[in-house]
Amino acid sequence: MADIQLKGLSKRWGSFIGVKAMDLHIADGEFLVLLGPSGCGKTTTMRMIAGLEDATDGDILIGGARVNGLEPKDRDIAMVFQSYGLYPTMSVYENIRFPLKVRKIPQAEHHERVMRAATTVELTEFLDRKPAALSGGQRQRVALARAIVRKPKVFLMDEPLSNLDAKLRVSTRAQIKNLHHELKTTTIYVTHDQIEAMTLADRVVVMSKGVVQQVGTPLEIYDRPANTFVAGFIGNPAMNLLRGEIRGGVFEGRNVRIPGFSGAADGQVHLGFRAEDAAVAQAGEIAAPIYSLELLGDASMATVQAGESLVAIKAPKDFQGRIGEPLAAQIPASLCHLFDAQSGERLRWSAL
Amino acid sequence: MTTRVADRRPMILRVVMSSFLVLWLIVAAFPFLWTLWGSFKVEGDFFSKADWLNALTGPLTIAETGGSFTSSGYYGAWVQEEFWRAAMNSLTVVVCVVCISLTFGTLGGYALSRSPYRYAFWLLLISLVFRAMPPITLVSGYLLPFFEWNLWGHLPTAIIVLVAINQPFTLWMLTSFFRNIPKDLDESAMMDGCSRFQAFRHVIIPVMWPGVITTGLFSFLLAYNDFAVTAMLLSKENQTMIPKIASFLGTTQTKGNVMFAVSSVISVTAPLFLLVMFFQRQIVSGLTAGAVKG
Repeated sequence: MADIQLKGLSKRWGSFIGVKAMDLHIADGEFLVLLGPSGCGKTTTMRMIAGLEDATDGDILIGGARVNGLEPKDRDIAMVFQSYGLYPTMSVYENIRFPLKVRKIPQAEHHERVMRAATTVELTEFLDRKPAALSGGQRQRVALARAIVRKPKVFLMDEPLSNLDAKLRVSTRAQIKNLHHELKTTTIYVTHDQIEAMTLADRVVVMSKGVVQQVGTPLEIYDRPANTFVAGFIGNPAMNLLRGEIRGGVFEGRNVRIPGFSGAADGQVHLGFRAEDAAVAQAGEIAAPIYSLELLGDASMATVQAGESLVAIKAPKDFQGRIGEPLAAQIPASLCHLFDAQSGERLRWSAL
Repeated sequence: MTTRVADRRPMILRVVMSSFLVLWLIVAAFPFLWTLWGSFKVEGDFFSKADWLNALTGPLTIAETGGSFTSSGYYGAWVQEEFWRAAMNSLTVVVCVVCISLTFGTLGGYALSRSPYRYAFWLLLISLVFRAMPPITLVSGYLLPFFEWNLWGHLPTAIIVLVAINQPFTLWMLTSFFRNIPKDLDESAMMDGCSRFQAFRHVIIPVMWPGVITTGLFSFLLAYNDFAVTAMLLSKENQTMIPKIASFLGTTQTKGNVMFAVSSVISVTAPLFLLVMFFQRQIVSGLTAGAVKG
């Protein structure tokens, strides 16, 4: 059990920046998710914490002690790999036992601890098998059991669910969540899947191109994205983003006119709102031709063409419309987000 | 599966395939079987000028020894000419070469396969160039310094030279085997509490076993079959089997020596058969790509 502090952590390969001056404090027992598209530096960050990659700059502190120069084995961290990294020549039992063996934990404790870990992840029937004779989900559970068999200070998980099929992913996700609740070990979890991030995390760190874009609870990230990158990355569909201009408290863009931005300064902005915040109506702030219509089951997703951008609007499931026909929707200013046209940073205005 | 693929093939195809295989087997095995048979005859039969069938029936063998088979070739080579000494020397050379090459090869190959730097590639490429050179070009250069430093003629000298010639190849082969093992395996071992070397020993080597066996077999064959190095660098009493056989052939004035060569050829070949049969499974899985994947 320990907290983790990253101070100005950077990784460069020549002129390529993998991670740029990252500052982060991860509280003891927290479940932190690093989220971002591939190549954003999330895995590099995790590997630096694990000690598998050397940091170019900055400090990593685990439980207050600087670990930069330490070997992975001396950091007391357990890690679950995307490809599981199971030892193919050993049985499941030996795989789970391996950390105890190499760390010279007294022989007498081995069996009990292996069995406890195997029971936790429901693997007791497969202990004699080799990893090759297991399904993907079972291999994943072996990797989890191997991580929890000793009590490390920190768990690292590198996209542990990405090789599983959709159904198994949901159940394993729940299992990981439950495991964290039970063990209360500080956990860092890397994923590019925002649903995993939303469901698992105490806090989410959204990264892009090696830079932290936003740190916050899943709800904060969803409700108050810090910039256009986060807005365009989080949510399914992602937040609608429209270019336009504020003049005298009124936003105007192609096919869109929204009054009510009383405190906002005049100038070019990006306007953002979520599909579910807009409502189809006879007349409204948006009036644009329908680009496509998709039935989701509980609702329909109508996409309209507003200028050069496509805007998604959630409509009732019995909504009837044809591609090319005009559609009007209401979106009050209080549910809209404004972002700076140049930097993409969130703009504060009085209504929020 | 109720029917095997082979059963579903048409009759004609099966007959053609089987007869081709039988034919192939005869062609491939003939030289060895012929020599094996002939090694129990006298020279006059095996190298008969009158009738080649004499090698099979052996009238002179019956006339000279009273039986249709004689082990005089083997007795002459092993006891009279002390071929057993050459066999012991070969054993020493081969065991040392294989052990040393594999030790350096696994350690070096692992390091090169995990190295993120470009020089690893160039090192391997240069080593391949040295491997491509005929051994004799290196040996001629060694001769003079070895004479001057009084190193010539001893077994360790030949072992070192053979290891040097062999090492590029073992390094190359083992590196490509190690590259097939995912890095995640080392990394999860290191997270589990291993040092780099422990990860190598406890996790990587067990997975690498087929690769190590295959590479070991190739180094074995190089040392076992070598003529250029051992013939040039070893004194008469330290000779290994292959140059010893050559020296039997070199003295054809005396009758019987050719038969010594023939019988020792059989003695040299037989262990190879046993070896390949024994390690068959490992060799096949080592030669099949992806066999060492985790």
